Amino acid sequence: MITIKNLHAYYGTIEALKGISLNIAKGKITCLIGSNGAGKSSLLKSISGACSRTGEILFKGSDIVALTPQKVANLGVAHVPEGRHIFPGLTVKENLEVGTVTWRGFFGNSPYNEELEDVYNLFPRLRERADQLGWSLSGGEQQMLAIGRALMARPEVLLLDEPSMGLAPLVIAELFDKIVDINRKKHLTILLVEQNAKLAMKTADYTYVLERGKITIEGPSEQVRNDARVIQSYLGKFARADRN
Amino acid sequence: MTLSLFVSLFVDGLSMGMIYALLGMGLILLVRAVGILNFAQGDLLMIGAYICGCLFLDLKLPLWIMFPIAIVWFALIGIIFMFTVYWPLRKASYSQATIIATMGASIVLQEAVKLIWGSSPRAMPAIVQNANGSPKILNVGQVTLPIQYLIILGVGMVIIYLVLKLFEKLYVGKLMQAACQDAYAANLLGIPSILTICATYAIVMIVCGTCGYLVAPQFMIRSTLGTLQLRAFAGVVIGGFGSITGAVIGCLIVGVVESFSTLFLSGYKDVTVFLLLIIFLVLKPTGLFKGKIGDKA
Repeated sequence: MITIKNLHAYYGTIEALKGISLNIAKGKITCLIGSNGAGKSSLLKSISGACSRTGEILFKGSDIVALTPQKVANLGVAHVPEGRHIFPGLTVKENLEVGTVTWRGFFGNSPYNEELEDVYNLFPRLRERADQLGWSLSGGEQQMLAIGRALMARPEVLLLDEPSMGLAPLVIAELFDKIVDINRKKHLTILLVEQNAKLAMKTADYTYVLERGKITIEGPSEQVRNDARVIQSYLGKFARADRN
Repeated sequence: MTLSLFVSLFVDGLSMGMIYALLGMGLILLVRAVGILNFAQGDLLMIGAYICGCLFLDLKLPLWIMFPIAIVWFALIGIIFMFTVYWPLRKASYSQATIIATMGASIVLQEAVKLIWGSSPRAMPAIVQNANGSPKILNVGQVTLPIQYLIILGVGMVIIYLVLKLFEKLYVGKLMQAACQDAYAANLLGIPSILTICATYAIVMIVCGTCGYLVAPQFMIRSTLGTLQLRAFAGVVIGGFGSITGAVIGCLIVGVVESFSTLFLSGYKDVTVFLLLIIFLVLKPTGLFKGKIGDKA
């Protein structure tokens, strides 16, 4: 679905990604793990056009490396940013409505009930809170809203940046069940970026490990999960039983 | 104080308050959209007065042709203002730079109109006038109400209604709100923030320019019209920066207070307004109305 070759990303003079190549398979969940500052978010921003980058990013065969965020979004790549970034002064329903801009245009004449129902069925909490303003939601609800808003855009690829950040363990478990749901039922390709390596590898089909702007380990999640280096740096030496 | 005096002072105050309210609404729209306080707001009003003066006095266009042309010009000037005063500085390391740029723009605009049209004020006839050219006045019993004031009130209410409607009911308004609240997320969703910022500036300039046309008969077209913005600032602080409704009500209060103060201390009407501002800053610095986005405890 997305093939990245020799991608470099920059913030001013700082090089955040130093030649990344990876492949995101259609219909699968691919995850990207790594510590703080490894460049995980930069990779997502590079795909969606929100930071300066060079290299090659092929989305369904065409190069999107030079496109603006709007054009990338219009092609069907939905990016759920780190820290949720919902619109605090719009209601839940309005937040979701705004998500449809890629296919409804600026004046929004076509109906979007079907998409709205889908999102409400996936996250019933959002239906209950439909008329509440975004800022008043709990962290978990905000994350659901951010994902729901991205789904409203009828995406083909969903980029999730740290969906578990700042949430309680039970909420995280529920959220990841939904993420798997989205992937299985809607056949949506997902790129998941996580600090929570254990959970991410459990969810994903294929795993990349990013360290200081470079990919150091990759492979099917099952295999990466048992890699000695990954256990050493991301899962902890003890608790082998707990890993599975 | 007789009833008729009370009513005419009240209407006078409300109509000036309405002008401040329109300026104040524009200030809040800009603060929301780009996060800067525009110190050239009053000068945008002045430019509006000069443009209408040029179309009306020099080209002698009738009102119904003049106004659409003026609106197109206003929108254009708003966008030019955005690209010269805000856009080059949007990534400056100090956000104050854009605010200082608006102060600079204020000086540039004032000097520019003096270069183009000269420094002497120009008279603008009232929209509705008697045969001899004096502004028409409505007499209800003993109350005298200049028609111009009533027009200001009416047009002001229509503009405020339309702007609120645009932002709260229309889809494009929601997109603009979204872009204001979180430009990064809006960009990722596919809302081009440059378009929404352009639209905001164009709307603000149209509102300010219209104000310029409305106040010109009373104050004449002059380069110092920009000082009206000070009362708008006071009104916005009193009403609260968070909500447009609050700012409108704050500005109306300022207008009415100013108008009634002329009765008791005619030389000190500015002092009264700013005294009120100071009282509010001391006792209720958040203003009368809260914004809808709260802080979670």
